[in-house]
Amino acid sequence: MTSVDVNNRVKEKTLSTVSRLSLQQVSKGFKSGNTNLTALENINLEVKPGEFVCLVGPSGCGKSTILNLVSGLEHADSGKVLVNGQAVVAPGPDRLFLFQEPALFPWLNVISNIEFGLKSIGVPKSERRERAMKYLTMVHLQKFADFRVHQLSGGMRQRVAIARALAIDPEVLLMDEPFTALDAQTRDILHQELQQLWAATGKTIIFVTHNVREAVTLGDRVIIFTYRPGRIKREFSTTHLSRPRHIEDQAALSLVREITAELRSEVQLAVAAEYGEAYEDEQIAV
Amino acid sequence: MSVTLETLSKSKPQSIASQLFSLKLAKAIGFALLKIVAFGLGVAIVWEVIYLLMVEVFHVWIAALFPAPVDVIISLIDHATDGTLLRATSASLFRLFIGFGLSLPLGVFSGLGLARSRWFKRVVGPIVLGFQALPSVCWLPLSILWFGLNERAIIFVVVMGSVFSITIATYDSTKLIPPLLLRAASNMGVRGWALFWRVVLPASLPAILSGARQGWSFAWRSLLGGELLTAGVGLGNLLNQGRDLTDMSLVMAIMLVIIVLGLAFDQLVLTRLEHAVQRSYGLSRS
Repeated sequence: MTSVDVNNRVKEKTLSTVSRLSLQQVSKGFKSGNTNLTALENINLEVKPGEFVCLVGPSGCGKSTILNLVSGLEHADSGKVLVNGQAVVAPGPDRLFLFQEPALFPWLNVISNIEFGLKSIGVPKSERRERAMKYLTMVHLQKFADFRVHQLSGGMRQRVAIARALAIDPEVLLMDEPFTALDAQTRDILHQELQQLWAATGKTIIFVTHNVREAVTLGDRVIIFTYRPGRIKREFSTTHLSRPRHIEDQAALSLVREITAELRSEVQLAVAAEYGEAYEDEQIAV
Repeated sequence: MSVTLETLSKSKPQSIASQLFSLKLAKAIGFALLKIVAFGLGVAIVWEVIYLLMVEVFHVWIAALFPAPVDVIISLIDHATDGTLLRATSASLFRLFIGFGLSLPLGVFSGLGLARSRWFKRVVGPIVLGFQALPSVCWLPLSILWFGLNERAIIFVVVMGSVFSITIATYDSTKLIPPLLLRAASNMGVRGWALFWRVVLPASLPAILSGARQGWSFAWRSLLGGELLTAGVGLGNLLNQGRDLTDMSLVMAIMLVIIVLGLAFDQLVLTRLEHAVQRSYGLSRS
């Protein structure tokens, strides 16, 4: 892939004022046993077209719930979830999930897995193979087209999942900790490639992670959530950092530290809620 | 990447079809026959020892009720050479394959129906469980009244004997599908019957094949039950003939034939198919 002048693209994108994705005063609760828990409270979030937004927060802060709301798998108790100004009603291939597990179909080979998505959105048979191959090449797996899923490594499988999603050409990619299950080297490589793919395709991405470094490496914006009820605590812009970024970049370090400090008290709350008195008198180093 | 292209190319899988119809099959049949012969020889030796002790030495039993293995083999050869055995076997296998061939699609589709529709499950589910608890031979009186004393009556019993176990196995297998696969498919816009054809059915295939093996053995039992209680050419009829003539050698010879045929189809066709599917799905390492 040629080096795309990403920073220019970001500037272009920020010129657009129409928000592709908008959460307005969104609240969402769920039942846990007999108690009602508020997962999200009064969330206001605007995501611009082509923006890469990372959501970071302790476990249980409801950041994955935001993805579910945008996808239409769950519905808000109050408030609006809008995509291009339209309220989200049901799941659709314009908002595609990427999960921690690649969720590929083991009875299909690699190329057929990508074609599966194309068939789903009604791409005629004659065009499927070529289009699937194009996206498989984008993730550098063109030699593996005829392989079975179980013959690939974890990183390769996640690449196939990314290719399958991109081939469908969604407006928004909802990534729920997609690299968490991978080894560190593979994850680093995929960080680079995801930035290139994002630059090349201009997709809007909402990316949920626990890893602050990952969030700063990938996102235009990093949004910190409070522990239950999940509220937006603070937002950090990363657009001053040049792309492509690497997870070990020195320039990002101070921002990473600042975000981690902001997050610490929330993580302590989460840990205290989870383990109770066992942690009462101890200082938790995060 | 931990997996190189070279190592993967070597393990590139053959298609299921080529795995089934290859030189390997001939080898497998040879090996299976060898195992059967070795096992049969062992059984024959133990049998001969018991025969010698109980009949020849202590005179506890009489030879007409407990034949020597040699007598059984002679009886087998006699009936094989005069054509009786071939006629009976082909008549029985004809009923069996028609019955099992009907049960398999019926069972798979009713199992999928149970999984697909709550209404269908509520109405048909208890019926399936009830009929599965009913020994299939119990259908014979009804079957004879409905169809007359002919092939169809027995085939009906065979179907009733095997269809419900296949239904239950299919239904159970749909509950074992990883929810993430269904979620990924529905996210790509695959719903309703398309979800069934493209995801649920292929995802259930390995477990359906296990259910088919079980259905096969139920079909075999039902067939013999039906044939024993009716007249007409068949293995069950030969068993009756042996009883009427107090020809225990014939009875045991036919029992041997039934064991070998049932085992052969299970091992050489169904189990091989099951393993081929498991390998291609990455479910086994063999």
